Amino acid sequence: MNRRQVLRTGSLAAVGGAALTGPAVAAGAEQPFRHGVASGDPLPDSVLLWTRLTPSADATPGSGRGVESVVRWEMARDAGFRRIAARGRVPTGPGRDHTVKADVTGLEPDTWYYFRFSWRGATSPVGRTRTAPTAGSAVRSLRFGVVSCSNWQAGHFAAYRHLAERGDLDLVIHLGDYLYEYGAGSGVPRRHDPPVEMTTLEHYRRRHAQYKTDPSLQALHAAAPFAVTWDDHESANDAWAGGAENHTEPDEGTWADRRAASQQAYAEWMPVRYEPGGTLYRRLTFGSLAELSMLDLRSYRSEQVAHPFDGGIHDGERTITGREQLDWLTSGLTTATAQWKLVGNSVMISPVQFPSTLTTREFGAITELVGPVEGVPYNVDQWDGYTSDRAAVLRALRDHGVSGTVFLTGDIHSGWAAELPADPLTYPLSGDAVATELVCTSVTSDNLDDYLNVRPRTLSLVVEAAIKLANPHVKYLDFDSHGFSVLDVTPEQVRMDWFRLADRADPASAAEVTASYRVPAGTGGLERAPRSMDGIVPRYEAATEHARADARSRALARQEER
Amino acid sequence: MNDENTAPAAAPRHGVDASRRRFLRVATTTGAAIVLSTAAGAPAVSAARSGGHGPGVAGEKDLRVYVLVVDGLRPDEIDPGVTPNLYALRAEGTHFPQARALPVTETLPNHVMMMTGVRPDRSGVPANDVYDRDEGVVRTLDRPSDIRVPTLLERVAGTGRVSGSVLSKEYLYTIFGDRASVRWEPEPLIPVTDHAPDLATKCALSAMVDETDPDLVFVNLGDVDRVGHADLTGTSLGLLRTGALAATDAHVGRFVDELRSSGRWSSSVVMVIADHSMDWSHGHKMISLQAPLEADEALAGKVAIAQNGGADLLTFTGPESERGAAVARMREIALATSGVLSVHSPAKLRLAPDGADLVVYCEAGWRFSDPTPISNPIPGNHGHPATEPIPFFVAGGHPRVRKGVTSSAPATTVDVAPTVGELFALPPVAGGYDGATRHEALFSRSGSAIS
Repeated sequence: MNRRQVLRTGSLAAVGGAALTGPAVAAGAEQPFRHGVASGDPLPDSVLLWTRLTPSADATPGSGRGVESVVRWEMARDAGFRRIAARGRVPTGPGRDHTVKADVTGLEPDTWYYFRFSWRGATSPVGRTRTAPTAGSAVRSLRFGVVSCSNWQAGHFAAYRHLAERGDLDLVIHLGDYLYEYGAGSGVPRRHDPPVEMTTLEHYRRRHAQYKTDPSLQALHAAAPFAVTWDDHESANDAWAGGAENHTEPDEGTWADRRAASQQAYAEWMPVRYEPGGTLYRRLTFGSLAELSMLDLRSYRSEQVAHPFDGGIHDGERTITGREQLDWLTSGLTTATAQWKLVGNSVMISPVQFPSTLTTREFGAITELVGPVEGVPYNVDQWDGYTSDRAAVLRALRDHGVSGTVFLTGDIHSGWAAELPADPLTYPLSGDAVATELVCTSVTSDNLDDYLNVRPRTLSLVVEAAIKLANPHVKYLDFDSHGFSVLDVTPEQVRMDWFRLADRADPASAAEVTASYRVPAGTGGLERAPRSMDGIVPRYEAATEHARADARSRALARQEER
Repeated sequence: MNDENTAPAAAPRHGVDASRRRFLRVATTTGAAIVLSTAAGAPAVSAARSGGHGPGVAGEKDLRVYVLVVDGLRPDEIDPGVTPNLYALRAEGTHFPQARALPVTETLPNHVMMMTGVRPDRSGVPANDVYDRDEGVVRTLDRPSDIRVPTLLERVAGTGRVSGSVLSKEYLYTIFGDRASVRWEPEPLIPVTDHAPDLATKCALSAMVDETDPDLVFVNLGDVDRVGHADLTGTSLGLLRTGALAATDAHVGRFVDELRSSGRWSSSVVMVIADHSMDWSHGHKMISLQAPLEADEALAGKVAIAQNGGADLLTFTGPESERGAAVARMREIALATSGVLSVHSPAKLRLAPDGADLVVYCEAGWRFSDPTPISNPIPGNHGHPATEPIPFFVAGGHPRVRKGVTSSAPATTVDVAPTVGELFALPPVAGGYDGATRHEALFSRSGSAIS
């Protein structure tokens, strides 16, 4: 019985023979570990474990109520907890909303472990986690889930369930917008708690807690460790160092207070090696095969410019990373010894020019998608709005002959695969690229067909074709699908498969693979793979060959009309 | 057929003593005669070949190693369309996609690192051109005495085996001198580039293998580099370069076919590597440090520049008492110049300490042109970090070669000698290798994979 079979049969109890609740099963709503278990940021000898204790009925998240408590944890090599590898105790209480984080050290590298928490005779669901391989060691393969933009109110998290059921993931990379700040909507599949826009510490804690009750999210957290970063919605839409588009002073308090509240709740409720006052950007390594630099593109950035014609986008004084993080990133990339330099990047770094052949309606819908900065036909919230920092990163890659850099990106609620041109002027002729970018779509959050209010894979196909014509480095684009991605990393290639949910409003939704692109080792280029890593022939862009060809013809015709 | 002569067949090259050579004149399938030279007294023909097999037919031998350097090849240029033979060869052996050349990414230092297994601070060859403090001139390191440590070529020969060198570039031939048991003196040399075309190099390689069947052959194919240097479309279409790639690839393919048809393949290890890659610059992205250095009162007339395309080596030639301040000033001036990427002390790059006071790198898409702005008109250059990525793979039919493997190991040019040395069971050089044996590519002698 392999890992995947284990998970498909329902629970790890089938293996261990003990009375355990498996990771695919949600924590009981009344039990003290009702928010599930999680792990994150694996190192070769340690991993961070997480849970939240509800010691009494009144100790609800964000309430500040409940007694100081001590939670026990244990890690074992087997699901039956016969071979205990480590155990310990962690105090918690209302000061940290009864969340529990244990940094377990002294573990074996590249090893699966099972973990659980206990308190006063109650035992948590069992989680499974994996340490990273030893630095510099040869690693045959790694497989990661890649997700972003999971809006509770926009649907159910079937994408997480599909990833949890795979059973073959070493790590899940969450690229941000893990939760959303908005108040409860109307006519939505499920409503936010608290029903107001989160602005206070209590709000942020309650919202985190609500998301952590989702059974699919619990299953995924229990199935594999996470590496997470935040984007804007963990605090407020289009956040920057000094404010956010969706923050109004003084009505919603000061930005400093709101940001501090969001960061405290994030540190408490996420399995991440981050505490307020520290840095979220960090680097994980996986032997000689890969390293993963997780960026923080919200805490240090300059305010977004008002429109794309604002010369400020090229202003060297404006930054998306902050100087210190930029130096950390470029020096890390240029001195890396790992073959693949993966960058967990919350917003797109590929330059995207929006073509003038789009209709007003399409333009409006894209503006909705890329952000509510007024009158912006393309996205100045991405690296496109901070070209000096982008140039510094790409320049460093080119100057130092760095190969194997792959940006893994979320935020934009759409699937993309793009090459990052070494020189945009000569790229159409030379095809020389210094890196690639693979963008996963949203777990649930709205995208183009939702904004256009049309059936998926109809009008969006023409928009996608027009954008690809205007941006030859963009090889794959799907503006409509919701779902998840799986990343396979081997010495031969990095490959991403994109999966699309049949219905994001259905927690039992099926998923299909809609693209598979790979970056062969030793090149900066992208190739379309004939089959997915599961051996399926993808229905590319979730459309027929005929529909894609027709869309391209229509986009070309528009171009000629101009 | 071949003729053996003891008289010089050609004028002696710089540093190579003709009186100590014998010559083999070999007829080739193209009708041209190939002249191979051997050291007097050394076996010119492999022991296995002397067993009575005819030319072109392999004798009994369980290991043959061919190190093929495709000069200046970039890893991303290996492509099923343009270079199908290299592509196939790479796929069937062990591939190191992270491979890099080492500073300074020039031809001579990296070829020397391949054959010695030590970095330039021990080999004595840090760049193609250096300022020679003893002679007071900037010169090319093309003398046999410039290499200060033993190379694989004489170490393999020293075990009674036969080593061969087939080096297309004049300065490569002269620096390796008579270290190999049997050598090809590159000809015809193309004026300006001072290299023999790959067609001639391939013919010489085939003739040498047919006639003398060396245990180790070190080969340099120079066309991809030489054409790349001159390709004015290098920043965009790379038209000339693409043609050279296809032609060189075909030569490699023919050589592999010959190994198969002659029965040598099953005993062959074919290591394909480049000494550096290539980067192209537009004419306006040129750095000349001579003028700003000369404009400085404390430095005027006291700095020698050895220009190496993507790297300038600066040496202070004034009084020793002024050196510290002068080097600091040189660093400052270089860093203030557009297109300069970084400045390093030679020791940090593990270069020969007497090679220079400073090494200055340019950014990608730039080049140095010193001493004058017209000194370096060629668009294709290397020497700077952008040109470190190289192809490196180990193929061949020998049972020790691991098939269909890709390794994340950070292989470099200095790993060639330890890896070849391991195949021949040679002991490490005195003081140990700086490079690593690339075990990822080899089964152990007992047949198991070593990770």
